[in-house]
Amino acid sequence: MDFEALWLTLRLAGCTTAILLVAGLPLSWWIASGHGARRALVQAVVALPLVLPPTVLGYYLLVAMGPLTAPGRFLMRMFGHPLAFSFSGLLVGSALYSLPFAVQPLVAGFGAVDRGYVEAAEGLGSSPWRTFWSVVLPMSRASLLTSLVLAFTHTVGEFGVVLMLGGNIPGATRTLSISLYDLVQDGNYGAANRTALVLLGFAMVALLAIYLLPSLRKMDGRQADVVR
Amino acid sequence: MGTVALNVSFALTQPWTVLFGPSGSGKTTVLRTIAGFVRPDFGRVVYGTDVLVNRGTGVFVPAHERPVRSAGQAARLFPHMSVRTNVLFGSGWYSKPDEGLELADQVLELFHLGGFAKRMPRDLSGGERQRVSIARTVVSAVTFGGPGTALLLLDEPFSGLDVAMRDELLAELRDWLRRWKTPVLSVTHDVGEAFQLGAEVIKIADGRVVQQGPAGEVLAMERRRLMEQLQAGGMSLEA
Repeated sequence: MDFEALWLTLRLAGCTTAILLVAGLPLSWWIASGHGARRALVQAVVALPLVLPPTVLGYYLLVAMGPLTAPGRFLMRMFGHPLAFSFSGLLVGSALYSLPFAVQPLVAGFGAVDRGYVEAAEGLGSSPWRTFWSVVLPMSRASLLTSLVLAFTHTVGEFGVVLMLGGNIPGATRTLSISLYDLVQDGNYGAANRTALVLLGFAMVALLAIYLLPSLRKMDGRQADVVR
Repeated sequence: MGTVALNVSFALTQPWTVLFGPSGSGKTTVLRTIAGFVRPDFGRVVYGTDVLVNRGTGVFVPAHERPVRSAGQAARLFPHMSVRTNVLFGSGWYSKPDEGLELADQVLELFHLGGFAKRMPRDLSGGERQRVSIARTVVSAVTFGGPGTALLLLDEPFSGLDVAMRDELLAELRDWLRRWKTPVLSVTHDVGEAFQLGAEVIKIADGRVVQQGPAGEVLAMERRRLMEQLQAGGMSLEA
């Protein structure tokens, strides 16, 4: 068991989930609270990592982060070093790759909150910000949990994007999934099995967290509280 | 929601005004326009010196910024909040929470909901939820933090209540709001309710104001209209 890879993986998943929480909440609310071509375009871009081969996304990110592009030079100035083959680079790649897993459950959850509750809050003088934090978000707790769990576990299991962007640098970019690949290549099936079981365990715990918390579903906006 | 054809113009001059008319006449749309949930193609909405809507100059004040507090027909109580927390949600007394709490409990008593403060919406009957919804809006209106007083808009507030409860609540609420000097515009299809409130009535039909005046006059007109309809159908009533 490569504990260094395990710790790196947990750090990567934790930081990625935090980034996606901060960026994903306002983005998801914006998508869910309106219609139109602009929103459809944004939704399509957000969903792109779902259909793109991970190595394709990893390749384009590698090029974009490099010194030959304006975004790459900007990122180098911001972080002080090239992002490719670094933890920071993995963070950017993971956040983009797991974006749809964070955003789509939130969009579905926010969209399921009856518009009547938003109007009820606004009719009581509640600002859009307060309405989101005090009414919509609590009523979407189950979707928020699903979003966080999926973003975390999806990052834990990443392989293609991590390999393209990070290479395989022990302690810096060698995550658990890369470590598993190395172990199999080396014929070390015992250690490979233990590593695979850890990854399987993460996935199982995540799914249990989503499906064994039905009490949160009672607070979903799907439950109408309508007199007539 | 599709296009609704409305051509209305009226002024509120009494403590309680009722929009009365049959289903589909546009009463709720008028209320929602004043509340800020419907953007009219033409016209103005002015409350005191506040221009809330002026399509000619492009003014449209968002609902939450208007000196208006509204409760819709459906009691949308926030399911994750207790009754008391729901009632306090729109309170404008941020700097005096204890007084806000006392007022909320007073209003719950007014609505015969004393002892319900810690209950959750899922534990309430339909009528109880309706009363909590109105109580919530009333608290928000009387604690309005802006200059002047807020206009209270209520859409069929008593329709989910039994007759005895409604009769009792109507009088108590009217007197209580009068003490707080909070003007009310409510919607009903029951002219008897307007008469009980001693309100000014604006009758709307087919998206137009067809009559405005004291409830007694409108009631008399409705009675004459009904008599004419019955006689046209070959029936008569002993007056």
